[in-house]
Amino acid sequence: MKSLGNKWLFFIVISLLGFGAQYSYAKEPTTLVFLTWKPNQPEVWNRLVKEFHRLNPGIRVKFQVGPHSSTQYHAIVTQRLKNKDTNVDVFFMDVIWPPEFANAGWCMDLTHRFPVQDQEKFLHGPIAANRYKGKIYGVPCYLGAGLFYFRKDLLQTYHYKPPKTWQEMVDQGRMIIGGEKEKILHIYSAQFKQYEGLVCDMLEFIWSNGGSVIDQKTGEPTLDHPDVINAISFVRDQIIGKAAPEGVINYEEPESLDLFIQGKAIFHRNWPYAWSVANNPQKSKIAGKVGVGMLPAFAGHNSASTLGGWQFGINRLSRHPQEAWQFIQYMTSHQAQKILALEAGLAPTRRSVYNDPDVQDRMPHLRAFLPAFERARPRPLSPVYPMISQELQRFFSQAIVNRGSDISKLARNASARIQKLYKLGAMIK
Amino acid sequence: MSRSFLTKTVFIFGVCLAVSFSLVPFLLFVSSAFKTQTQISSIPPQWWPDFSLKFFRSALKNYGIMHYLLNSIIVAGTTTLVTISLGAFSGYALARLKKKWAHLILMGILACAMFPQIAIAGPIWRFLQIMGWLNTYHGLVLPYVALTLPLAIWILTLFFHEIPRELESASLVDGCTRFGTFIRVVLPLSTPGLFTASILCFIYAWNEFFLALLIMTDPARQTMPVGIALFQGEYTVPWGEIAAASFVTTAPLVIMVLVFQRRIVTGLSAGGIKG
Amino acid sequence: MNPRDQRLYLAFLSPVILVLLCFIIVPIASSFFTSLHRIIIGLPQLGNPFVGLENYRELLRDSVARHSFWITVIFVAVTTFFELLIGLFMAILINHRFPGRGVLRACVLIPWAIPTVVSAQMWRFLFNDAYGMINYAAFGAETARYIPWLAIPGTALSAIIIADIWKTSSFAALLILAGLQVIPEELYQAAKVDGARLWGRFWHITWPLIRPALLISLLFRTIDAFRVFDLAFVMTQGGPADATNVLQLYGYKKMFVEGWMGYGTAISVCIFLIVLILSIIYVRFVGRRLLEASV
Repeated sequence: MKSLGNKWLFFIVISLLGFGAQYSYAKEPTTLVFLTWKPNQPEVWNRLVKEFHRLNPGIRVKFQVGPHSSTQYHAIVTQRLKNKDTNVDVFFMDVIWPPEFANAGWCMDLTHRFPVQDQEKFLHGPIAANRYKGKIYGVPCYLGAGLFYFRKDLLQTYHYKPPKTWQEMVDQGRMIIGGEKEKILHIYSAQFKQYEGLVCDMLEFIWSNGGSVIDQKTGEPTLDHPDVINAISFVRDQIIGKAAPEGVINYEEPESLDLFIQGKAIFHRNWPYAWSVANNPQKSKIAGKVGVGMLPAFAGHNSASTLGGWQFGINRLSRHPQEAWQFIQYMTSHQAQKILALEAGLAPTRRSVYNDPDVQDRMPHLRAFLPAFERARPRPLSPVYPMISQELQRFFSQAIVNRGSDISKLARNASARIQKLYKLGAMIK
Repeated sequence: MSRSFLTKTVFIFGVCLAVSFSLVPFLLFVSSAFKTQTQISSIPPQWWPDFSLKFFRSALKNYGIMHYLLNSIIVAGTTTLVTISLGAFSGYALARLKKKWAHLILMGILACAMFPQIAIAGPIWRFLQIMGWLNTYHGLVLPYVALTLPLAIWILTLFFHEIPRELESASLVDGCTRFGTFIRVVLPLSTPGLFTASILCFIYAWNEFFLALLIMTDPARQTMPVGIALFQGEYTVPWGEIAAASFVTTAPLVIMVLVFQRRIVTGLSAGGIKG
Repeated sequence: MNPRDQRLYLAFLSPVILVLLCFIIVPIASSFFTSLHRIIIGLPQLGNPFVGLENYRELLRDSVARHSFWITVIFVAVTTFFELLIGLFMAILINHRFPGRGVLRACVLIPWAIPTVVSAQMWRFLFNDAYGMINYAAFGAETARYIPWLAIPGTALSAIIIADIWKTSSFAALLILAGLQVIPEELYQAAKVDGARLWGRFWHITWPLIRPALLISLLFRTIDAFRVFDLAFVMTQGGPADATNVLQLYGYKKMFVEGWMGYGTAISVCIFLIVLILSIIYVRFVGRRLLEASV
């Protein structure tokens, strides 16, 4: 009988479906290990992950935590990846690591998961930093760029517009200090300790004088060049100990920012995070008196700022690449980036977030940052960048610490050492 | 016994000097734990804190120092127990073995203590990875035992040398086994050595940073030094919370030292040794 | 000695040998092995060829390594000298019986009790050029005269030396104290009866009898001082201009930051060899007296 047969078929299909559904719920949830550093606002990240769990009941994300210092975190991540650890699925990469990780075969090639149409929804600079030899190896989470902060109240009092050149900044600063007498101590505050941040700051000076440190095409170092030497001389002679206190030679971001928010410096260079700190009345003595814009340049050249930020990567040996990719997609979605921007102050890498009305409403300064973000330049992209960075740090520090340093000679020494490194990198092509 | 006035003043001056040398830098730092945020980095600096407990509350709630403390206690405590046990046994053996062998082994043990930790951290990590002991308590305790054994063995061997053989012979003649003699006669007389070695061992395990950082990436198992290093955010150094955590991490050690320091001294004045 | 005793001693020693084998001896051997290869972890395509002593030859040619070596030697010499001096002073103080001596003992151990990474941060805070207490103590509110300790090459090295002396003088004090307590009280009594003054008692009784303890402290302190790492890492990261780039820090950067596993391990092996040679020298000249005097 047809109708009874149909009823039986219907019943069988339903029970099979029910059985199948029950079977899939009875499966163990996949555990993803996310190796990260300790976030500044853990509650925001925890909320995002909880939401991810709700949307993806079959996946559980487990955090493993290392220190936020880029060098120490690098040590931990590379230690595990080079020992072919399969217990890490997702990890963070500093903006300078993708070429190194891609070349060493530690991060998974994401080209077929992350096609060009999707890449174009992100800002250009961070995407370029994640590409190596035509493929893409990471997804940018948030970005940073060197920004120029200044005391807009002081500039207004003295009828100055924000300086367009470094010399203008020094001159304005001198006039203001002369006028303010005891209250202000220094013109400029930035990071010049012998660490990665020194490379970021010095590159901004060098690029804004039309120079560069490496010819990206040939790999030749271009340090012994008047553009570079003059920029470095300017820093050594006009900035260290003059416009900025001698102590900046030991400053990382926190100390240099402290000088600024204590009201002891007129101009300051730092990453985007400094904006909310400087305007927080509980921490800063200058809340509400802060302006931000592009860094000055040398006369006749354009402003330049160094690209920073962090990207998600997947372990090439991960046992759950699909789930890992789902997690990354979620964490870099418009919604997640919006929450990270609004509540953790992390600059988004998706263009759409900058156009979001909520974001524009509550964080109007992000739009002001956008030009700097679009034009932020990456540091030399190379699998041997960590080694090049050490040589650059040494070179810059030796050049600016000693008053009578022979910068040209130091540049030639550093170039010779970097040449050797590039030859090493070239052997793998 | 009367001392001249000069000696006494010099002595008191010396004590004050020693105390201020040890305490003042630390107090200056820890006082930050009691200040408010703007007081900490004010230029010029402010000596006297406001005695606000905000940082302690923040360290407790937001940075979870209690569970780092617990992990440190477990790891350091276990390390000390294991090292002192192993060290006591082997120290006794070395003190009683033939001179030539003892020297050789002691030198070998000393050589083990000399190798820079940075280099052996990698191979140790690989070994733990193979055994599946990463992110476990025993995965951290065992390397610590290996790193603290050399100093413990050296200290204990020297203390055991001190103990006159006649006491042991007397006990053996009384029918005690060598092992029994060790437990009942030698160990009690060596308490100063045992406590000295324990304190040094505990403090080493409590403060060790590099290996703990590499081996423990699971937040549930991380110890205090790693925890404090993690306080530092991307570009922020929460001095207040770090100072509060430093205070909390040092307090148990100070209490421990206060309680045990007498044992180090009184043991030696007991008549048995001087005979 | 009878075979039963021998078996007992062997049983006592075996767990120790096992632990040391797994966690120290095998890793050291592995490190030696690594230092004979060229291993760059970021460039696995280059393979890990055996290069014999090439890494060591390269080290001798490396001007940065030579500079690091001298920086480390200065550090070791200055810190060990002052730590033993201050340690001796503190040990003598603690050894005397007076009310509150337990508290003094605890106070003196506090610097040693603090994790190195914390004390490094603390000194970085104290030496700060804008709000550091040391500048405040020296110059008061005249902020213009504040010295940027960690920014000038000479003072940066002094700063980490001071930080280390502060921290480890108490370790030396503890070891020397143990040695002081072996000296019988009667010797001092006899000397007092004979009319000896404070300095005389020290020079003729304390000094000769305390030499073994001093030498153990010297030995262990030198071994540790050559391996200094945490202080330079936290306070200055090796700067300014490599002024505090101690050997172990240079090795760390080569190994973990740049990925030169073979070369960085060679640096560690060199540190090990230097310390080994120094120890052999110490022990030859003093060791026999050390181990035999007590029996």
